[in-house]
Amino acid sequence: MSDRMKIFLLLLPAMFIIVVLFFGGLTIGLMRSFNYMPVIGLTDPDFSAYISVFTDREFYLSFLLTFHIAFTSTVISSILAIGAALLLRRSFVGRGLVNFLFQLNLTVPHLVGAIGMLYLFSQSGSFARLAHEFGMIQKPSDFPALVFDPYAIGIILQYVWKEIPFIGVIVLANMQSIGEDYESVARSLGASKWQTFRHVLLPLIFPGVLSASVMVFAFTFGAYEIPAILGANFPAALPVLAYRKYTDVDLAARPEAMAMAIVIALLSAVMIYFYVRYSRRRIRG
Amino acid sequence: MQHNWKNWLFASALGLAPLGAAADTADGDALNGMTWDQVVELAKGGEVNWFLWGGSDNINQYVTEYIGGRLKDDYGITLNRVGLSDTVEAVNIVLGEKESGVLDKGSVDMIWINGENFRTMKQGDLAYCGYTDILPNNKFVNWDNPAIANDFGVPVDGCEVPWSKAQFAFAYDTARVDNPPRSIPEILEWAKANPGQFTYPAPPDFNGSVFVRHVFYHAAGGVDNLLGAFDQAKFDEVAAKTWKILNDLEPYLWREGATYPASISAMDQLYANSEVSLTFNYEPSGVGLNIENGVFPPTTQGYGLIDGTIGNTNYTIIPFNSPNKAAALVLQNVLLSGEAQVEKALPNVWGAKPAIEMSRTSSDVQAAFNAIVVHPNVAPAEELAKAALPELQASWISAIEKGWLENVGQ
Repeated sequence: MSDRMKIFLLLLPAMFIIVVLFFGGLTIGLMRSFNYMPVIGLTDPDFSAYISVFTDREFYLSFLLTFHIAFTSTVISSILAIGAALLLRRSFVGRGLVNFLFQLNLTVPHLVGAIGMLYLFSQSGSFARLAHEFGMIQKPSDFPALVFDPYAIGIILQYVWKEIPFIGVIVLANMQSIGEDYESVARSLGASKWQTFRHVLLPLIFPGVLSASVMVFAFTFGAYEIPAILGANFPAALPVLAYRKYTDVDLAARPEAMAMAIVIALLSAVMIYFYVRYSRRRIRG
Repeated sequence: MQHNWKNWLFASALGLAPLGAAADTADGDALNGMTWDQVVELAKGGEVNWFLWGGSDNINQYVTEYIGGRLKDDYGITLNRVGLSDTVEAVNIVLGEKESGVLDKGSVDMIWINGENFRTMKQGDLAYCGYTDILPNNKFVNWDNPAIANDFGVPVDGCEVPWSKAQFAFAYDTARVDNPPRSIPEILEWAKANPGQFTYPAPPDFNGSVFVRHVFYHAAGGVDNLLGAFDQAKFDEVAAKTWKILNDLEPYLWREGATYPASISAMDQLYANSEVSLTFNYEPSGVGLNIENGVFPPTTQGYGLIDGTIGNTNYTIIPFNSPNKAAALVLQNVLLSGEAQVEKALPNVWGAKPAIEMSRTSSDVQAAFNAIVVHPNVAPAEELAKAALPELQASWISAIEKGWLENVGQ
């Protein structure tokens, strides 16, 4: 058997899953989004589901909110993760332990983290109770609204907490494989610490940061569970809105749910394209 | 990734189905022509996947331990309880299966259901029907009672069997509220006098939707004006008044109405943490359990409204493509038995009202039922029953939920 054939066969199981489950699901979703659903008697495809999605004010508000959540979480976690990686690559007492603690929450599921946020930051959560204990607030509603809030603070906190180690681990591995020789050379040629970082290290680690943050952006833009648990009910994040349509008791709302899911997929593809292009130019240019 | 729990649920249900199934009993017409003994013989040693709302620990425990135990001991049937946060998820699975041509190997064998979801099942021809007469315990069901024979105004037509009855009730903390509001107008006034102390879960949450219906009845000047088929002109008139009432109320709600709790569980948490002072539930007995479990303060007291609260019957349904219909029928028969209905009515188990006529059961069962002592803090069922309001037809309810989202929720 030739090597080419072997590679093909080895990739086959993974490709089978991607093609059948992903594209199969996508095709059915597309058909439904065009109002084609013979089971409930819809046999004439049209664009009405897309029209009603794009004429709904809530859709635009939801888009802005979802973009805000994904963008803010990605930027904050990327910056903090690079900072953490810069510290963690140095040698210091207890580095092994700190490194372990830093990566610990990678194993905690998002859902569990979200419930934790609820317990800590809700108006009757642990911090509100502490504030009450010290006489800083009189009743639960005096505590600032950090979950179910219009600025999605709780959601962003949760994502930042969860994604810093994710990006951090990738960046750290990246930095360690690059070593410090390039930076030493730059410093010996008179570059300042900041210049060394900005013009030597950052461009080197940038591919790693970029791919990690793109993953984070795509995930946070399309994720359902965190905004469902920690978000306000209006406007809801796009995936929550799509799911609400999908579970509408009126079967006629299903095409709208599918149209919205397709739009979410397209929007995140477009935004990732621009994000990658823009940030490449900024860092390399 | 965003739906990984759902995929898991779906995958596990699909994966479980073929495992130990004794015999494929997907052919409902064949079963309808059999005697009960033949059905039981086919069901023995098999399994049944029951999809039901899983938001209450005590209900889950009753289903897995008591019902699951009886199925295992008496028939060797394995009961797989699949918890849902919204019944429509199970309806979606059946619908998706029908669409993709899964006509006799479906993953759902039974659903706890009523109202709009039952209407959807009928609308999409997704239910297995015509079997009620072969269930021996069907004799306990009073099909002459319109509240049993119609599910939110939709005729049952032998497509589901009743399981429990429920009636909406409120609850308050006697330590924090002296004189709770006892009618919808009083609740509206009370909420305005006590800003931030009241809220309701956003429809389509089941309980939030029922609360909005109470306001809708109030705005209509009584439910009598709303009974019967959906009437657009009538709806528009009453809906406009209802949205005005609820929008006027909004600034006085928890968080000034900027957001609403997403579910009744979230609202119960707010109540348990003293963020709000009133809570309510379609299942009034939950108050007793929540007190016993230390979730609610022991000073919580359930009560009804003088202008009445809405009551309904809930059912179990078998999808048309269930491959384990015989086992599902055995399960339904066990659920309808006097013993299971009494166990379900015990306040430390669930406290749900039987959907069968207790007078038709054996004297032992009746004695056990009459001996039940209700938790003192639960709104008494007899008192609630004095002012019971009917549910509207399902089309009214979806119109109200949709209207709320568009006019109040935004």
